[in-house]
Amino acid sequence: MAKQLAFYFDASACTGCKACAMACKDKNNLPVGINWRKVFDYGGGGWIQHPAHPEFMIPNNVFVYSTSTACMHCEKPLCAEACPAKAIFKRDDGVVLIDKDLCIGCRYCEWACPYGAPQFNEELGVMTKCDFCQDYLAQGQNPACVDQCPQRALGFGELDELRQMYGNINAIEPLPSSDISHPAIVITPHKHSQPSGQGTGRIIKLPEV
Amino acid sequence: MTEKNFLTKALTKTALTRRSFLKWSAALGGTAALAGGLGYGLKAVEAAAEQAANEGKWVPAACWGNCGGRCYNAAYVVDGVVTRQKTDDTHPDSPDFPQQRGCARGRAQRHRVFGADRIKYPMKRAHWEPGGGDKSLRGRDEWVRITWDEALDIVASEIKRISETYGPNSILWGTEAVGAYCGYINTWGSTSSGTWAYTAPRVFGSQSTMGNDRLDMRNSKLIIMWSTDPTVCSAGSPAYHYLLSKRAGAKFIFVDPFYNWSAQVLADEWIPIRPGTDTAMLLAMGYVLISEDDPENNPLIDWDFVNRCTIGFDKNNLPDGADPEDNYKDYVLGLDRRGRVAAEGHKNYPPKTPEWASEICGVPPEKIRSFALEIAQTKPVAFMEGDASARINDAQTMGQAFTAIAALIGSIGVSGGGFGQTRHSAAGNRGPNLISAGSANTVLESLDNLCELRINNNEFWDAVLTGEYTSAVNEKTQVNIQMVYHTKGSHLQTKVGQARGIQAMRKVEFALATDFHMATGCRYSDVVLPVTTMWERDNYITNPNREALFWMNKVVEPLFEAKDDDWIDRQLGLRLGVYDPAVEEISDKQQSFNRIAGATVLAADGKTKETLVTITQEDLDALGVEGTPQTGLIPVMEYFEKGTYQVPRKDGDNFSYIANQAFREDPEANPLRTESGKVELHCRVLAEDIYNLGWSKIRPIPEYIPAKRGYEETFSDWKNKVKGPYPLQMYNKHYWRRSHSEFDNVLPLRELFPQEFNMNPIDAEARGIKDGDMVKITSSEGSSIRRVCLTERIMPGVTNLPHGAWTEFDDELGVDKAGSDNYLEAPVPTVEGHSGFNSQIVQVEKWDGPRLLPDSQWPQRIPIKEV
Amino acid sequence: MLRELALIAFTILAQMSVGAFLVLGVVKFFVARKAGQEEADRMGDRSLIAIIIVLGLGMLASLWHLGNPLSAPRAVTNFATSWLSREILAGVVFAVLGLLYAVLQWFKLGPIILRNIIGWLAGLVGIVLVLCMAMVYMLPTQPAWNNLATPISFFTTTLLLGVLAMGAAYVANYAYLKKKNPGCADQQCELLRNVLRWIAVVAVILLGIEFVLIPVYLVSLATGSPQAVESAKLIAGPLGLTFLFRMILAFLGAGVFGFFLYQNAQSAGREKVLSYMAYAAFILVFVAEVLGRFIFYSSQVGITL
Repeated sequence: MAKQLAFYFDASACTGCKACAMACKDKNNLPVGINWRKVFDYGGGGWIQHPAHPEFMIPNNVFVYSTSTACMHCEKPLCAEACPAKAIFKRDDGVVLIDKDLCIGCRYCEWACPYGAPQFNEELGVMTKCDFCQDYLAQGQNPACVDQCPQRALGFGELDELRQMYGNINAIEPLPSSDISHPAIVITPHKHSQPSGQGTGRIIKLPEV
Repeated sequence: MTEKNFLTKALTKTALTRRSFLKWSAALGGTAALAGGLGYGLKAVEAAAEQAANEGKWVPAACWGNCGGRCYNAAYVVDGVVTRQKTDDTHPDSPDFPQQRGCARGRAQRHRVFGADRIKYPMKRAHWEPGGGDKSLRGRDEWVRITWDEALDIVASEIKRISETYGPNSILWGTEAVGAYCGYINTWGSTSSGTWAYTAPRVFGSQSTMGNDRLDMRNSKLIIMWSTDPTVCSAGSPAYHYLLSKRAGAKFIFVDPFYNWSAQVLADEWIPIRPGTDTAMLLAMGYVLISEDDPENNPLIDWDFVNRCTIGFDKNNLPDGADPEDNYKDYVLGLDRRGRVAAEGHKNYPPKTPEWASEICGVPPEKIRSFALEIAQTKPVAFMEGDASARINDAQTMGQAFTAIAALIGSIGVSGGGFGQTRHSAAGNRGPNLISAGSANTVLESLDNLCELRINNNEFWDAVLTGEYTSAVNEKTQVNIQMVYHTKGSHLQTKVGQARGIQAMRKVEFALATDFHMATGCRYSDVVLPVTTMWERDNYITNPNREALFWMNKVVEPLFEAKDDDWIDRQLGLRLGVYDPAVEEISDKQQSFNRIAGATVLAADGKTKETLVTITQEDLDALGVEGTPQTGLIPVMEYFEKGTYQVPRKDGDNFSYIANQAFREDPEANPLRTESGKVELHCRVLAEDIYNLGWSKIRPIPEYIPAKRGYEETFSDWKNKVKGPYPLQMYNKHYWRRSHSEFDNVLPLRELFPQEFNMNPIDAEARGIKDGDMVKITSSEGSSIRRVCLTERIMPGVTNLPHGAWTEFDDELGVDKAGSDNYLEAPVPTVEGHSGFNSQIVQVEKWDGPRLLPDSQWPQRIPIKEV
Repeated sequence: MLRELALIAFTILAQMSVGAFLVLGVVKFFVARKAGQEEADRMGDRSLIAIIIVLGLGMLASLWHLGNPLSAPRAVTNFATSWLSREILAGVVFAVLGLLYAVLQWFKLGPIILRNIIGWLAGLVGIVLVLCMAMVYMLPTQPAWNNLATPISFFTTTLLLGVLAMGAAYVANYAYLKKKNPGCADQQCELLRNVLRWIAVVAVILLGIEFVLIPVYLVSLATGSPQAVESAKLIAGPLGLTFLFRMILAFLGAGVFGFFLYQNAQSAGREKVLSYMAYAAFILVFVAEVLGRFIFYSSQVGITL
């Protein structure tokens, strides 16, 4: 029996293709506006004049890498602590779940989560989030996102084992510091990955309307 | 998104139980209930998705996009509706024997099949009359439902009327029946391949025998990715193959205007280059190699290969009758026939130095030099290119220049090498198929198209508007096109000159379209016929790549009144009298079975073809087909259940492919299919054939021709670098939201991949444009409006409007609102009649007009709203 | 947007009713000592109706923002870890105790000492309620809210609205008394003027606290984490006009009108002017506080993805 299930993410292999996000949307029938798994392009740098040939613009530390993130099933789940109705709970295997029948839709967990995991479903009037494909896990299958990734950049397993295999990194930009809620994730960084809070770039995407 | 508080919800909440879903199903004729969704466009699916696992069934299915992937996408079917999908899990995944995992698009396939915007029945335009009625309303008219008989009668009578009134050559595009009755004009010209289509066969003998297979590519020490982004353009496995090459030790250098998504994972280095200037850089690289090569102390050129396997490198190796100055070396070095540096005005002037090239391509000269040296000094090197640089006006010389470098650096015919097109299903994995389907053994023979007239892709809309087209060198011929049949090909959306196309569509007397959604062709037609998707048909057999063969059959029955293309053609043909009603083709199911029965797979020796399936009489009965029992590798029913067979591979197996290895070893015994049998750096045939097409006269060597609508044309004064009215270059990157124009209507994909217009922050700042602003992009054809996403990934001076968005031309505002690339693209016929999708120039300015909603919030195109 | 309005309504109205209740209790205590319990009750008890109604409206507003309001009763179950749970529990207890006190007062049930104990208990729970409300926002993911400015400003809002609401309530109560029973008005009038002077002084002091707190808060935002800086930019930028308005109204209401309130309360005979001052001060500051709370929610930039 697992103690703390966790995702593994290989940022050095992720191309930002969002097949994982779509697999999750498909399997869970998520409407437009709700994405339990999200993929961000994070990058920066700039363009400068070539020192010897000023008529040329050259890239100056232009960098981009993508990060795929879902619910972190945190070791210290702030959402569960915050929920007034005890609708969010952490299982023995570490998976954090929302009981839709208990949720009152106050959206307080949305404020509490550093990763944007709980999302409000207007149709149902309750909060929803990544549930680690617990129905698939119960049948011995993998989460949909893990199986979909064409780059094999996603994995999952026991947090301790993943750390032994891949190290201890659990935060890179644009993820927040792991000190806030101790996410259950292990990350292999991209060569340009920047530590959380020390980023020189930004999430490259259209600003909200 | 509008927030709904609890009160609104309480008032409008409809509990969609399974029972109510089935009731709707029955009410709508026994097929899936489709109605406007709440932000998803798939109302019925929410309820169906609640079903327990044992109430549905997994059916093998595949995507059918024209992306080169067509990956495995099994469908979970509940009561005739697909409620979820999964990707390939038919065997355990490993690097050598990988699953055929798909991308976000394929995973959203069920939205195309079951979307609320699916065309349900034949329709005609409300204001249509024979002759056209009010043709100006095409694109913004209402729609009226009609029966199939009505629709087919209208089509048949219009075909008859138009062909009688206007004679032959009056119908643009068609199907077999139309061709057999009166003939239809076809269009020609390469699209995806750009100038490789003409160049490769003449310079190299073929397009497909250039690269090596994926396991061999792990032997590469250096892989050059020139204008290619396989993770987007051939989504699915190819990027993974390249990742494995990287893990095996290959260094990657990307040459591209955009630091693309493959580059972010693979690139050790990125060389930004302006679109359409590749030939200049390639020639300068040749200059560096030739001028700095020293066979003893600094060998840069594979002289063995050049001498034995090429012609045209220098004046000693030219075909008879060739102008001695038309050789690669003298052109590159800028020498005249006496071997001296040519004077200005001479056709070989100037020397193609890095300095000369850098002014054009934007790559600093010492970078051109160091890059050339690196690829010459690293072995083995794979010199790969992704066709984007061939989709440039006047760019047929690019292919030849590219091939020349590959020849010089010794990429051709070696393990870990390979060169040229890495694209489509063969991206990162070339070689003959390991598994192939057999023949369908159809009964009927195809009827010929009576019309032999073909008009070039860059000219046909003008042909409709002006009544003439280019028929030969300096020769125009009249043509009077009065009907357009939008069938397979989405031409109105995916060919250049869409702005003119819309005008043309409002000029002809009759237009019809077949499709499953109200895509661009349907929008501007008079009659729309609903067709089935591949999930509603049998006989979808395809190689996603050389290693696997999918055998897919009906996932669900045809929805509503959708029909197969073949059925439509047959009904039309019966009305036109070209088909014999007594004789029918064998069923799709039977054809599909025949192909599988005849399927072969290579044995482990890599040479022997083995029969794939074992068939027993019980199998024939179970499948309901005719045939004879046979013995093969796997039982046919097992294949039927799984839907896929993939040949296992491992290091050292006999399935590797090293392109042109035999040719390199013995070019006389294994000639290429070129005129000389060798790689033609001087290609007489290419120059002659291009001249005869009627647009350009080119030399038989890879001369530099500034692209029309290319970088040079952004200036009104090139010498003094004064910018003209269209100062920015624009090109059209492939994008995960679409496979060409397919998938553009799918809501979750519109959400995940907004149609962003990319600019570099420097260009934006100069125009007072901030991230997320609305901008107007203007070309000589018209304007589009979009929100801009600023990024440092794209080089200054270049902009990107992702390829394939369905135009949403607003007649009142006079602009396209969807960011349709081809709306802005000027059709410019050059050299071999390909289209310069990536050579376009535009101006960009802030747009102060109405702000657009995010793409995912646009209403779906539902032609007839039901209660 | 709707959700924001619901929370603004709830927090403002709940805090106002706690503040008013506390002021009511304190004033009653001192008035009873000076002029007897009866005068104290006559002065303040009618306001209880208003306080209860305001609290009720506030709690209704809080239900409005829920996606599933029928399940709201469950919201008290996680008081072990959730400040929101504690807030709701405190709110319910405060409402129950407050209502109990009101009923006992109106119908004069039970000994006075019991009523007073219940009253003080309710007041205490009210203070706990405001504290819980503030703690709800002290999340590590909300830099704009996760600092001392939040509880301080919640309490200043509570007391400022409390004193000024009661100022208006006392004035209205006096008008009612005068109409009904002109004879007893004189004693009430003097009490009223005394209380109003104190109210004016307290309002000015609280205004001063706000005017010190707010700039310090903005500076701490502007020099904080990226999200805090974003919040500061929002307040200075798109919310700038609103912010300016909020400060001007607060100054006018608590400062200017407060000053005039004090002046006019010094001597008798100016009851009519006094009432205008009291109402104006309350309305201006009420609007200012609503705007302030609006800015509070609109400038939220959380650590999130």
